[in-house]
Amino acid sequence: MTLIYQGITLIVVLLIGWHILRERRLTDQMEAALVLLPLILRLLMIK
Amino acid sequence: MSSDRTNEKTRSYGNRWTALGLFGAVAVTVFLVALDFRAMWLDPPIYPGPGVTGQARLSDYFSGIDGTAADTDVYFLEGEEAGGTALVLGGTHPNEPASSLSAITLIESAVVARGRLIVIPRAVHSGFTATDPQEGYPQVYHIETPTGVREFRYGGRGTNPIHQWPDPVIYVNGSGQQLAGPEVRNLNRSYPGDPNGYLTERLAFAIVEMIRQEGIDLSIDLHEASPEYPVINAMVAHENAVDLAVEAALLLELEGIQIGVEPSPANLRGLSHREWGDATGTKAILIESANPAQGRLRGPTTEALIVEGVDRYYIRAAELGLLYVPFGKEGSPLDERVGRHLQTVSMLLEVFSSADPDRTIAVEHLPTLGEIRQNGLGAFLAPPEK
Ligand SMILES: [Zn+2]
Repeated sequence: MTLIYQGITLIVVLLIGWHILRERRLTDQMEAALVLLPLILRLLMIK
Repeated sequence: MSSDRTNEKTRSYGNRWTALGLFGAVAVTVFLVALDFRAMWLDPPIYPGPGVTGQARLSDYFSGIDGTAADTDVYFLEGEEAGGTALVLGGTHPNEPASSLSAITLIESAVVARGRLIVIPRAVHSGFTATDPQEGYPQVYHIETPTGVREFRYGGRGTNPIHQWPDPVIYVNGSGQQLAGPEVRNLNRSYPGDPNGYLTERLAFAIVEMIRQEGIDLSIDLHEASPEYPVINAMVAHENAVDLAVEAALLLELEGIQIGVEPSPANLRGLSHREWGDATGTKAILIESANPAQGRLRGPTTEALIVEGVDRYYIRAAELGLLYVPFGKEGSPLDERVGRHLQTVSMLLEVFSSADPDRTIAVEHLPTLGEIRQNGLGAFLAPPEK
C-alpha cells in the first residue's frame, strides 16, 4: 500500500516538474516549486 | 483583475532557465530540511540509574516489530526480594511530555527494594521522530540539572506517518470501534493489537504480549491532556483496579494532591485501561495531567510553554470557569506534572502492595511532588554527558 502511494507521489512530482519547465509565468513556476517540497520529502520518506 | 496584471508583468520572466534555477533551489531546500528532520530520528540519551538491573527490547516479546521504528527499549528495576510486578508505560503520546519524562525520571532515580518494575519511556518510539503538522511544536525541550542541561524530544501524537502510510479514511480497530482515519497511528486506540495489522497495532500487540509474558500485576499508562478536556488530573481505571485507584486517590488527597477516578467505560474500545485488563487480567490504570501546550486555546507554542506551562489564554479561560483544572498565574509546569505522576505511581504501588503483601512492589528514591517543587526535577535526573 505504501509503495502504491509513493508511486502516486512520484507521478505527481514528475507532472509538477514538467509544468514548471513549460510554464512561462515566473510566479506560477515559483508556486509549483513550493508545492514540490512536501511531495519530495514524502517521496523520499523523510517527512 | 490585479492578478492578471501581475501575470502579464511577470510573463516574460519565466523560462527554462528559471525553471532549472527553481529545481536547484528545491534540491537545496530539501537537502537542508532533510538534515533537520533526520536529526529527529536520533534518540536523546537516557542514563539508567542505580536501580536498573536489566534492559530489553520490546521486540523480544513479539518479533513482528523487530527492525521497525516501533521497536523500543524496556528497562527492568528488580529488587533483591521477590514480590509483584508493575509496568509504567511512558510516551504513548509523545506530545504529552510529562508521560515520557516521568518514566525517564523513574529509570534514572528509582531503586526497587522488593518486586519488579518494568518501565518503557518511549512507548511510541516512532512518534518521537516527528511533530504533528500545523501545531508549531518545538522539536526539543530542555531541563536544567545541577550539572548541565538535558535535552528531550517533543513528538507527535502518533506513529510517524513515514513509518505507517497511508491512513485509511475510517479506522475500524480490532474491537470494531470506528474512528477517524489518523487514529490508526494512535497506540491508545489500537489495543489489544493485531500481530498481522498496521505497525501501531503490532506495537500494541507487543505491549500486551509483554504484560502477559512477564505476568505483570499492575499496569500504569501515563498521559496528559489539554486543560479544557473533562478527564484530567484523573485516573481512569479498569473495573479490576477501581478500588485500588479510589483508595490511592483518597490517600493522595491527604497528601495535598487532588486527583479524580473515572471507571473505564466498557464500550470505549482500544484503550489501555480497557484492553490491557480485558486481555491479560492485569490491573490497568491510566493517569492524566494537564498540559497547556496540547490545548486548543493556547497562545504561542514555545519551549517555555512546554516547560513552564504558563499561558495567558488558559489563565483567562480558568477565570471564565471553562477549564476542568485550576489554572492560575503559575500555570501547569512540567516538573509539577511529573511530580504528580510519580507520586500517583508511588501511591498506587503502595496501595497495591498493602492489599496483596505477597505481591509487594517497594520502590525507593522516587521523588515526591514536594521534593520536586523544592529541588527542581533536574535534581532527580542524571547529569548530561560531558
Ligand atoms: Zn495521551
